[in-house]
Amino acid sequence: MSTIRRSRPKPAPRSTSGPRVFALLVLLAVVAGGTWYVLSRRPATAQYLSVYYTKQSDGTSLAAWRVSTRPAQAGETDAEHLHNTVLYAAVQAVAGPPSDVAAVRFPPGTHVQAVSVTGSTATVDLSKDVAQQVAGTFGENGEFKSLVYTVTGVPGINAVQVTVNGATLETLPGGHIELDQPLHRSDF
Amino acid sequence: MNWISRYTVRIFSAVAAAAVLLAVSVLPARSAAALSFVLGGQTVAFTHVSNSGGVTAVGVEDPSLKKLLGATGAVMTWKRGERYVLITTSEPRVISFSVGDRAYEVGALSAQASVAPYLVGDEVYLPLDELLHALSYALRSDGSQMVMQPQLSTLDVRAAGGGTTIVARAGAPLRPRLVEDNAQKVAYEFDGVGTTLAPQRAVNAGGVSSILVSQSGPARSPKTLVTVLLTPGAQHGPPRNDNDRDFAVSFSGAAPAVGSAPTPPPPPPQMITPAPAATAAGSATVTGVDAQQSQDGLAVTIHVTGDAAFQWHRLRDPDNRFWVDIQNAHLATPEQDGTLADPGVSLRVKQIDGQTVRVAITLAGPKQLSVNPATTGLVVSVGTDEDLDAARAGQGTIGSVVATTDAVAPVTPAPADTAGGALGNPDELAPSSYVPTNPKLIVIDPGHGGSDTGASHGGLNEANLTLDMAGRLRAILQARGWQVRMTRTTDVDVYAPNDSAHDELQARVNVGNSAGARMFVSIHVNSFINSGPSGTTTYYSKAGDVPLARFIQAALAASLGTKDDGIVKSHLYVTLHSYMPAVLVETAFLSNPDDFALLDSPSWRQKVAQAIADGIDRYAQQYPVSGSAPQ
Repeated sequence: MSTIRRSRPKPAPRSTSGPRVFALLVLLAVVAGGTWYVLSRRPATAQYLSVYYTKQSDGTSLAAWRVSTRPAQAGETDAEHLHNTVLYAAVQAVAGPPSDVAAVRFPPGTHVQAVSVTGSTATVDLSKDVAQQVAGTFGENGEFKSLVYTVTGVPGINAVQVTVNGATLETLPGGHIELDQPLHRSDF
Repeated sequence: MNWISRYTVRIFSAVAAAAVLLAVSVLPARSAAALSFVLGGQTVAFTHVSNSGGVTAVGVEDPSLKKLLGATGAVMTWKRGERYVLITTSEPRVISFSVGDRAYEVGALSAQASVAPYLVGDEVYLPLDELLHALSYALRSDGSQMVMQPQLSTLDVRAAGGGTTIVARAGAPLRPRLVEDNAQKVAYEFDGVGTTLAPQRAVNAGGVSSILVSQSGPARSPKTLVTVLLTPGAQHGPPRNDNDRDFAVSFSGAAPAVGSAPTPPPPPPQMITPAPAATAAGSATVTGVDAQQSQDGLAVTIHVTGDAAFQWHRLRDPDNRFWVDIQNAHLATPEQDGTLADPGVSLRVKQIDGQTVRVAITLAGPKQLSVNPATTGLVVSVGTDEDLDAARAGQGTIGSVVATTDAVAPVTPAPADTAGGALGNPDELAPSSYVPTNPKLIVIDPGHGGSDTGASHGGLNEANLTLDMAGRLRAILQARGWQVRMTRTTDVDVYAPNDSAHDELQARVNVGNSAGARMFVSIHVNSFINSGPSGTTTYYSKAGDVPLARFIQAALAASLGTKDDGIVKSHLYVTLHSYMPAVLVETAFLSNPDDFALLDSPSWRQKVAQAIADGIDRYAQQYPVSGSAPQ
């Protein structure tokens, strides 16, 4: 090896290895930085969320089960992670507990179409199935109370604006609860 | 300096090679040809198909995936550009996937997928096998094609009040046929569903001795036969087939059990993990292990069919391992090795020798723990609190019966209010801030009317009932010297026919606000989608409404004979926007048979009017016109 190299005309080790060392250092810095970035984004402990439901026995007292929320993934910004956690919370609340639990449930077919977060207010867009109430304050109160309590359990969220199929409603048709402004836990 | 150069070249090429490998592994999405499956008797082609390391994944925008979800009654929440894919099943359970994360969740159960969901363009691709399993489907070959076969995946056995209820669920609507019904057995056949449940399961409780499950028929049109073997003298009720999805039959034994054992705490909601056909080795079969998280901690349910003895041990902190050995048992599912939600860390299920199945749990600390036999096997409950003096070992047998009740742990105290200080919070309106211009005037609002009948049931409707009760209340109040204004006196819309809810409700509120009334009382009739809920509730919204609500509810509760559901705060339009103390009385439930009978009775409706009037008078005595201060 060395004899072959020495036989080359005028090797200039400094001038050829200089850029290579530099490139290596840059690469190492990128890899180290990337590793640090990925690791730093993983929370040390798992996070949990209480998913509330309103008991059918009186239509107002709450019970909850806990779900674990997904930690932020590599490349997921804080805003994106908050959005995703709110989405997960809203979907869990609208789904409700297993069918054998006597919970006040949203009308069949009701599902979360999208969520968005502005400041500390989460907007939860429900499918139009939610309008199929059988009248009575009982259902409406229990449904929205569980949704608001669950979503405001996400750190950073303290109000929930409900929309139906993308539109803000004053109340549901023939309904009782005012929906054209964000709902807080203190409203229930 | 030559060595530096060579060293550099080698490292550089090694890094480059690693980078290429990394790039290859990060870009797995090799677009595959369309895949055809048989779904519901028809051939459906999945066109958004990709293959990564031999694992088939399908795109969430594949039209055939929508068909599959529709067949299972599931709905998906996902938008372009988002990494979370959330699917709500009809059960309901939430299935959760996220791009780049192999962990996926089905209800409270967390598992690792063979590959993490990934993006192709901006469409998320999900691993097909895991998705099907989560939806209670399985892929079966009929020789020439692969069939997406719905599975009878859950057979809950619940004991309550000396009887047993068997609940079946599948990935498709269940259409049961009664094929045998005699003193020894009851058999139902389910067309169109296969099963992965264990073929035999001992129950020995509430009239049921055991349950046999068998599958027959070709892959495209499978049948699953569920035979319930009865104990002598047992009886069963008619099956319930809620929404075509939950199929339930209740059985009762001939005589109550004698000398029953102490009742362990109720187990959590249970899901039978699908099990391949069991080959009996021991006398008992472990058909699955699942974990359910609750506010109180974690419950790990070991589903066991047949009778077995068990022994458990735990180590001393800081080594917080626990294990339970089920003796003379055969593991009918693949061995498990996965993570657990807090306060657990990990869960392993293993056949450690020919006759012992071991379930090992690593705990997140010296957590409180109890091991309880249940109808379906064994429930290990792990609390969130710590117990340094906990027992280190125990033993028992499986096969006893427990009563199951409400499945999810109740939360007694309402959680702390995080919304404090919000502008426009109605609680900031002090009771004394309102001074009526007409302190003798009470506005009565009969709920609904005209184009909006409100709730209706069995020939009665809310609009007519509320008008009737409001008229009776007006008569009583006027006789006692009050002035009364009604928002409506006939069956009409207050604002306009078919108006918006806002216009309609604001029109009602305006009656009180413009007249400077002292109180606003809205009368309603409750209703719900099932007949369970009953009772009388007075709703309010503002702090200034509370005293009036309390007096009215107390008078109602004392005389109506309905369940007293108390006063409830809610964000209701009419109470929120009325300047004066305002309440909305939900007198009773049209949807409940007992309440319905009361609502149908004129003398009971008179009692409602009488009670509201009494509540108003007591309130007026305690809270004179100047404001809220008691005299």
